[in-house]
Amino acid sequence: MRGVSKAVWAAVVIVVVIVLAAAALLMQKPTPAPAPAPTPTPPPAPPTPKYADTITIGTTDKISDLDPAMAYDFFTWEVFNNVMEGPFKYKPGTTDLEKGIITDYQVQEGGKVYILKLRTDLKFADGSPCNANTLKWSIERVARINGDPAWFVTDLVDKVDVLDNYTLKITLKSPLSFFPAILAVPTYFPIPPDKYPADKVSSDNTAGGVGPYRIVKFVRDQQLVLEANPYYYGTPPKTKTVVIKFYKDATTLRLALESGEIDIAWKTLNPTDINSLKTKPGIKVWEGPGSFIRYIVFNTKIPPFDNKLVRQALAAALDRNSIAQKVFLGTVDPLYSLIPNGMWGHIDAFKDKYGEANLDLAKQLLRQAGYSESNKLKVELWYTPSHYGDTEADVAALIKEAWEKTGMVEVTVKSAEWSTYLDLTRKGQLAVTLYGWYPDYMDPDDYTFPFLHTGSNRWLGNPYSDPEMDKMLEQAEVEPDQSKRVELYKNIQIKLADDAPIVPIFQGKLYVASKDTVGGIVLDPLMLLRYYLIYKQVGS
Amino acid sequence: MASLKAYIATRVVLTIPMILILLTLVFFVMRVLPGNPVIAIVGMKASPKYIAELEHQLGLDKPLWQQYLDYLGKLIQGDLGTSMIWGRRPVIAEIMDHFPATLELTICSFIVSIIIGIATGMIAGVKKGGKVDFSMRVYSIVAYSLFIPWFGMMLQLIFGVWLNVLPVGGRIDPLLEPKHITGLYIIDSILTLNFKSLVNALEHLALPSLTLGIVLSGIYTRLVRSSLIEVFSQDFIRACRARGLKTSSILFRHGLKNALIPILTMMGLQFALLLAGAVLTETTFSWPGMGTFLMERIEYRDFTTVQGTIAFYALFVALVSLVVDLIYAYVDPRIRY
Repeated sequence: MRGVSKAVWAAVVIVVVIVLAAAALLMQKPTPAPAPAPTPTPPPAPPTPKYADTITIGTTDKISDLDPAMAYDFFTWEVFNNVMEGPFKYKPGTTDLEKGIITDYQVQEGGKVYILKLRTDLKFADGSPCNANTLKWSIERVARINGDPAWFVTDLVDKVDVLDNYTLKITLKSPLSFFPAILAVPTYFPIPPDKYPADKVSSDNTAGGVGPYRIVKFVRDQQLVLEANPYYYGTPPKTKTVVIKFYKDATTLRLALESGEIDIAWKTLNPTDINSLKTKPGIKVWEGPGSFIRYIVFNTKIPPFDNKLVRQALAAALDRNSIAQKVFLGTVDPLYSLIPNGMWGHIDAFKDKYGEANLDLAKQLLRQAGYSESNKLKVELWYTPSHYGDTEADVAALIKEAWEKTGMVEVTVKSAEWSTYLDLTRKGQLAVTLYGWYPDYMDPDDYTFPFLHTGSNRWLGNPYSDPEMDKMLEQAEVEPDQSKRVELYKNIQIKLADDAPIVPIFQGKLYVASKDTVGGIVLDPLMLLRYYLIYKQVGS
Repeated sequence: MASLKAYIATRVVLTIPMILILLTLVFFVMRVLPGNPVIAIVGMKASPKYIAELEHQLGLDKPLWQQYLDYLGKLIQGDLGTSMIWGRRPVIAEIMDHFPATLELTICSFIVSIIIGIATGMIAGVKKGGKVDFSMRVYSIVAYSLFIPWFGMMLQLIFGVWLNVLPVGGRIDPLLEPKHITGLYIIDSILTLNFKSLVNALEHLALPSLTLGIVLSGIYTRLVRSSLIEVFSQDFIRACRARGLKTSSILFRHGLKNALIPILTMMGLQFALLLAGAVLTETTFSWPGMGTFLMERIEYRDFTTVQGTIAFYALFVALVSLVVDLIYAYVDPRIRY
């Protein structure tokens, strides 16, 4: 009995602690300050907007490695683009490149050699100087560590030489017409050699680079705090401090915006939340073009998908509008090529060839392939349930519905979680799969070569190989004349639609929801938020 | 005392084969499942050459038995290995980053569930058969059958959005994080006398603890009620009544004391369950704890982290159950080991 008394006492103590804590909590709630006594005031001057010192951004994304030698994901690259800078960068709101940390550059030997003249006023976040030697060290470190994005250097660059303190010479293995776009990738961002280990990944490194912000705090999966870099050479950021909070769930992200916990809800809100937030007072929804694409992959080695007629029939029957409207409530656009809408060279190749949900053509092609209402084409359609969001099962269901509308196709939908899905795809065991692509650089090459060039598309388990296609892709990579490249990519897309080893479905749009006092959000196909342009008005 | 020491020693010794069996199972099951951590990490774009290099670096190209022996060898030296993804940090560092969050949430939810459960169960037991008893029994069923993400979202909506008095997610305001001592923000704030952080941490804890605590309180309501009714039907309670003791005195000094003994056992089991089962609450409230962390690592087939985390959990649960057993003996002197 003695023991029980202690247990009861312990319970009483716990209750008291909780009550005290609750009381403290309530007492801390800000109470409205008493209104000051009215005093006669002169006529009001026109208000001048004031900007808040701090902006809080919420996201469901996560940071992988704060090291440009290893990170290969969009959100971490977004952070890099705010705390670092490379030889080239994109003009906000466009896909046009402009000079970053360089003042000038020359292309020599038919596109094989690039001479970069660096700015002389570059400094890292700790005030230490950045010059050609630093940039060379940073690029060579990426190759040395040989992490996930190392191929941007190892596959393309032969050597890097310092010509003088502010001049760097990069010699490529072969000419590359879009190398300036590669130079805008974080693997070419200079980092301070005294803060990063020379041959080891430094995942939680907060040293940053020469960008507009510096990292002052990083707690994995919880928070990232950025502060304006006093040594940045360019225009200082509009907001001094940017706090990024990481959420695990899109609904919580939306509620956090509504409750005022965050100022901006960035990737990724649910389609229903986006539409609902559009009608909420005090909230502004920003919409912009995205370069994220989704597509169906046919394994051209597995019968009957080795038959071009079968692939063409399924491409013709696909109802992209239905997926865009029913599943995504109009927050994505139908896509008729692998090269996204809005990128130079894009044509609606699949629409031109097949139209949209063209059941007559699909039936005709299926009959030619030997199928009928009594002898149906059997399709096993695979998807992965969470990697591309909760909507994936619905996407698969609508594809099944569209194909079965022909009356000559029977679809079985199957799913596997991400690692299994990837593994089975790579081993070539899945016949029809759904995948998505985020670009590495803004060039049609990134949307065609890895998908259609012999060997380069092995990652999709897709053995599609065509010498004519290979030749066009290789030509387009080295061709310096832009109009000739446009023509080459047009032909590549026409051939893609005809062979149909991969069938595009839709292209994502970008959505950001913010308080209506927030401005300066610029959305473009690069899909990176520039924190340094964002501000929040706090009154006059 | 000697028998108690022997009991503790036996329990500790028994824990070792238990963890070994568990780890062996996890080791082989993870590897038998389709899916490759390297491909899951590097995604679709990596070249086969790079994937092969990574597999070699991580030792995944070795025969399975050799991987197993290598792992055990390191484990014996207390090395849980390094994570296979995102920076390849030591597994123990990953655990220490996430475990305090789960522990803090678990303890607070546990306290909430016990307070509500005992209070409602006590009321139901005392008012047996009446309307109040019926209401409490309905409460226990409703509470236990609440779906955590839905209930959590309702609380977020009411207290976070409509009343705007509590945060809807996260553990603390990023600019108010106390100095890291234990990783438990409440304790760290108190130790550093940072009361602003303490209040902020409590605010962040309020909704997730209430959600989980209320859902779990249902089971205590029923248990306390039935235990109390049983105790109240015993002779010694009748004797107390006959002696003219006040109802409150009978309830607190005699009834509840005896009714609590079976509940203590349930508390021990529930605490262990809470540790593992907080995943839905963690996801709903973006709580950076072990549940969501482990789920994510399983999805990415991060073998070493999953193994290390499960071993850590097993050890912790074994420890909790040992402590509960000891408390049990302390509370009820009739129990001897």
